[in-house]
Parts: sequence; C-alpha cells; structure tokens
Amino acid sequence: MKKFLMISIILVAITAITTIIYVSLFGRETLRVLKVSTTTSLYVTGLLEKLSEEFRKEYPDVVIQFIAVGTGRALEIASRGDVDMVFVHAPSLEHKYIKRGILVDGRIIAYNYFVIVGPKDDPAGIKGLNSPVKALKRIYNAGVSGMTLFISRGDNSGTHIRELTLWRKAGLNPIGQKWYIESGTGMSKTLMIANERKAYTLSDIGTYLKLKGEGILGRLEVLVDKGEGLINIYSAYIVNPDKYKVDYELAKLFLEFVSSKKGQKIIDEYGVRLFGRPLFYPAYGKENELKELWRVLSEG
Amino acid sequence: MYTEIYGIALRSLLISSTATLLALAWSIPFTVKLVSIRHESKEAIVGVFNALIGLPTVLVGLVLYSIFSCSGPLGFLELLYTPYIIIIGESILITPLLISLLYEIFNRAYNEYWELALTLGADKFQACKLIIREIISDVFVVSLIGFSRAIGELGVALIVGGNIKGYTRVFTTAIALEVEKGEFGTAIALGLLLFIVILSVILTARVIKRRV
Amino acid sequence: MIVLKNIWFSYVDENYVLKNIDIEFNRGITIVLGPNGSGKTTLLKIASCIYKPMRGEVLIDNINYWSLNEEEKVKLRRRIVYVHENPILLRGSVLDNIIYGLIIRGYSKDDAIKKAYKISRELNITSLLSRKAKTLSMGERRLVTLARALVLDIDYLLLDEPIVHLHPSIRELIIDIIRDMKSEKVIVIATHDPLSTLKIASKVVLLDSGKIVNMGEPRNILDKYIVKY
Repeated sequence: MKKFLMISIILVAITAITTIIYVSLFGRETLRVLKVSTTTSLYVTGLLEKLSEEFRKEYPDVVIQFIAVGTGRALEIASRGDVDMVFVHAPSLEHKYIKRGILVDGRIIAYNYFVIVGPKDDPAGIKGLNSPVKALKRIYNAGVSGMTLFISRGDNSGTHIRELTLWRKAGLNPIGQKWYIESGTGMSKTLMIANERKAYTLSDIGTYLKLKGEGILGRLEVLVDKGEGLINIYSAYIVNPDKYKVDYELAKLFLEFVSSKKGQKIIDEYGVRLFGRPLFYPAYGKENELKELWRVLSEG
Repeated sequence: MYTEIYGIALRSLLISSTATLLALAWSIPFTVKLVSIRHESKEAIVGVFNALIGLPTVLVGLVLYSIFSCSGPLGFLELLYTPYIIIIGESILITPLLISLLYEIFNRAYNEYWELALTLGADKFQACKLIIREIISDVFVVSLIGFSRAIGELGVALIVGGNIKGYTRVFTTAIALEVEKGEFGTAIALGLLLFIVILSVILTARVIKRRV
Repeated sequence: MIVLKNIWFSYVDENYVLKNIDIEFNRGITIVLGPNGSGKTTLLKIASCIYKPMRGEVLIDNINYWSLNEEEKVKLRRRIVYVHENPILLRGSVLDNIIYGLIIRGYSKDDAIKKAYKISRELNITSLLSRKAKTLSMGERRLVTLARALVLDIDYLLLDEPIVHLHPSIRELIIDIIRDMKSEKVIVIATHDPLSTLKIASKVVLLDSGKIVNMGEPRNILDKYIVKY
C-alpha cells in the first residue's frame, strides 16, 4: 500500500513536470496572443474585456491578455517590451514614453471626466465651480486652516498624475502638509478613506458612480464636474516594434477595431445598463479637439 | 462566474502543488548533502536559510520580473505572465522554508537512526531505507506547509503572473483585484474559499497519511 | 573475542577521548566501569565497529575489521550488537522493533515473529508487543531495546548502561537473563554504578579520562573504585 502511494506520487510529479516542459515548448503555437498592459481603474470597469470579447468574435484564434496594474507600472512594463500594447490615461506620462520612442501609433479611444468629490457640507466652498484649479486653491486654503483634508492616490496612477498636474497649474504644492494624505492605494479605497474622513479627493467618474450606487459613499458628493482640467483622455498605444519583439500586426488589428465605428459604439454604450449613464464617451468624431486637449495636458 | 471561480481554484491548486513538488525535488537532496558535511559552516548555512524564510514575496517577484522580462537576461524564454513563471517563483520562494524544516528532520534522523541501524546490523542501503521510513511522514507534513505558503502568497503571482483572466489569475491575485475594485464581499468570499481549499488538501493528506 | 590494540579516538581534532587503549573482551561478562565522561560509550562503540579509531586496530576473532571491504564488514558487524543507553525506537509496534534486526539479516517474517515472541516471554513483555513503540515508558523502552538485541542470539553483546533507571525487580530479571548467557557469549556492559552488576562480572575494567587505569577480578577492583569515586 505504501509503495503504491509512493509510486503514484512520483508518477504524478513526473507527469506534471513533463507536461510543463511540453506545453511551454509546444503548446503556444495554436493561439495568437496579444498582451496588453493597462491601468487598474480602466480594467475594472470591464470595458476592455468586453472589447476583447467582441474582437474575438471576428478573430477567434486570438487571445488578448490584460495585465492590470497602476499607470506608472503599465507604461514601465511596456518600456521593457513585456507587452504589445498599452491602454492608459495619463497624457503627461505618455508624452515622456512617446519621446523615448517606446510607444507608437497612439490613438485616443475614449474620454470621460474626473470629478472632485467631497463632504456634503463642503467646508472649502467649491460646489458648482467650473474650474478645478480654482477649487483646488480653495481646498488648499481650507486645508491649511485646518478645516478639511484632501486624500491623494499617491500611486502614480492616471488619476494621481492629473491631480498633481492640477496642483501645479494652481501654483501650489500640498505635498508633506498635514491635511494632504497620500493613500497609496486604488481609487475605491481612496474614495472610502475620503468618505471616512469627510475629505476631498479627485476621482474618475466610473469608480465613484459604482461605489455610490452600492451605497458606500454616504458622506460624499460630486462637487466639481466641469472644467477643462478635468477631462480624462484614454489612449491606446502599440509598443515600438523596432525596439522590442511585439506582434505589431495583431496589435494594429485590435487598435483599429477599438477605434472603428463598431468598437466606438461598444464604448459608447458601455455602462449604461449598469449605472444608468455611460462611463465613457467615444472619441469618434472629436479626435481633433481631443488631440489638442491631450497636447495641453501632456505638457502639464 | 462560477466557471471562472472553478478555473481559479484549479489553477491555484495546480500551480502551487507543482511548485511544491519542484521545490522538494531540489531541497531534499540539498538538505541530505547539507546534513552530511562536517564543517563549521554548516550551521551558518542553515542560519542563512532560516533567515530567508521571511523573504518578502514582492521582493522575490520583482527580482524574477527583472530576470524574465523581455529586456532581462532570460527574457528570451518568454515565461513572463505565464503560469510557469509563477510555478518557478513560488518554488524558489518556499525553498528556504523547506530546507530549514527538512534540515531539522534529517539531522535528527541521521544522528539517531543511522547509528542505530548500523548497530542492529544494517548495511548502508538498509540504513537509508530505515531513515526514509522513519521520516517520510514528517517530510509529508513539511510539504503541506510549503504548499500552504505557496498557494497563499500574493507578491510573486501578481508581479510575474500579471493576474491575467483565465490564464494566470489565482486565488490571491483574484482577491487582490476584487479588493481594488472595492468588491469586499466577493474578496472575502474568495478568501474563505481559498481557506477551505487549503483545509481540504491538508485534511485529505492527513487521512492518506493515516492509511499508510 | 574482541581485541582493541593501541586505540586512539577523538570526536574533535586532537581532543582525544580514548588514549592508547589495549584491551581484550573474551567470553563471559566484562564490566567497563568509569564515571560519566570517561569514554565508556566511545569504547563500546569502537568495539562494536561503529566508530573508526584514529589510531589502532579493532580485531574481531582475529580479523582486522577496518581492513575489510564493505560486504565483509557488514557480515562481521552482524555478529555484534550494541545497545544505546538512550533507547531509540522505530516507528511502528514493539513487535516491529524487535524483529527489525532479524528481518535485515534475511529471516522470514514468520520466523522472526516466532523468535520475537520467545524473547518477549522471557522478558515478560508479551503484553507490549502490539503497542505503538513511541507510547512506552522509559523502563518499557529499555526492555524493548534489550529484546531487540537479545532476539538476534549472536555472539557479541555490548550494552551501554542497560539497567540504569529501571525498577529493581526488572533489573534483577535482566541481570538473570544476562548471567544465563555468560558462558556462550562475549558480553560487555558499560556502567558507572557497579553495585548490581558486579556479582555477575567475570572481569572489570576501570576507565578514567580515556585511559584504562585498572583491570582484573571484580573483588580487587571494587575496593579501589569505591575508594576513589
């Protein structure tokens, strides 16, 4: 009985190891794999998996693998050639990688807005302002006078980078001050901290709506949702095939698909069912304006 | 949704058990050799492995990432963001743990049973057989400990695996994602499921052990 | 007959535990007497061919053990059994423990079990046979290790502190059994307490700090030992 068990364990081990070796050497050829790095906040909306699903209806032998990490990391991975494409929303960072020749064939595929949310009683008095920069100035003053707090993502994400850009435009540096708290975590957790501490924060509209819909953010409200500093532009890039080994053809196909009428329609309708309002606006038809806005942001 | 969870469970089990077997494959012979040397450095070496038990998983993940990334020395193997690199990573992660535990077992066994076997007239082969018989169930327990550590770690699986849906998503990375999404309910449910899976493995193993 | 010629042994570097030992163990019962740390255990382990001396020869029936090849060594070693002071038992039942030595010598399981029962009856431990070895008390373990050695029925029996910490009645039982084998086997007993064992001894060897300080008839040696220690 004992011998039997030992023999079977050894057999299983041998089988496992040979399977691994076999599959790693031969199992890959049947499918074409597209590796895409992206930001967590974009990924968790589910939009990318939906686009991938529809894409696969036309190209069933393709598998798209999404690696969802923070914006900074998504671009960093691309710069090492570990993925074929990137979907991000941080123009100033994207600009740097384009300059380094790492990203090519960039296309704006969608946009929405960041919002500044805060406590219902709004101690900084920013509700309804149509300039996020002005709002941040007021929040700064309120913070310094000890009336309120601001929670920052602090994680090099698209949202965080935009937040820093806005502070820069306001000519202020809140870092290190007592009322400025860096959570170092994702959007959901950051919003929840803001809710707990009755603080202000910058958020993407999607995450905010989702959590609000679940009844979690009882103390927060959208206070500023207009103004050019709040536009959130999503772009897709292919990693430079001259620098790294990427499946350029396949990436191009997917990029074309996402920017096509069909892809843009999917983006347009995404989220309506779940949240009552769309999470994204398609870039289709507005490319030029968006490019200009992108340019401004990339220099911020 | 359930098929996805089933996939995650199966994947986690396969990856971590393979990692454990792999780690055992090199840890056992290494520890046997370690026990048999008579140099003062022996204790120091064991001490190093003891310390490495607490190696942060993210650190291991990052080091592996830089090695297996496309721009890294072993990038040509194209193992990044595959389940195989997670297996390699986890097996490296649990190796210090296995070696530390196995050392205690083998050392004691060697000191006690080797001499005893010889005094009772065993030749070297029979003495080895005796030692194996005496320690096999302890080694089994050590394997389970290693397995639990492997299946419960996050750092390696996340950084080198990429948490790709349907491919490299395992329990721990799936839980992390749900937490990111703010879906704490789902995250906790997955966590409990992971715990139940580990518990089942260990209980099944103990039942087998008793029969044998 | 076991002959040790000019034996020097150390565990660590030059720190010799046995120095220039010359001794013969013949048929009958030899007691190796000495305080703790005198080297008794080492001496017995050398005589059982478990440890190899740094210097000197170990002769079993005039055969130089350490000059043999592996196969021959095993054959010779199987005529000697050494019983540790600290009883180490194997996994499994008491019966499994007792038959181990017989099984590795090639006895069939049935024969081995028969012999095990026989020795168990002599030692009054038949009730323990089916018990798991690890659950026994110290005294019971000692008896089992003894049974494990005695069941082999071989010529050379080296026992390290066989009766220390045992109940007096059990001590007597063991002493009787050993005495009965006196004429057929070479028996060496290491102990630091001579009281119970001296009455069965043919010869006494006094060991101190790795050297033999005296050797001879029990009567003569005993006075000197008690005076000194």
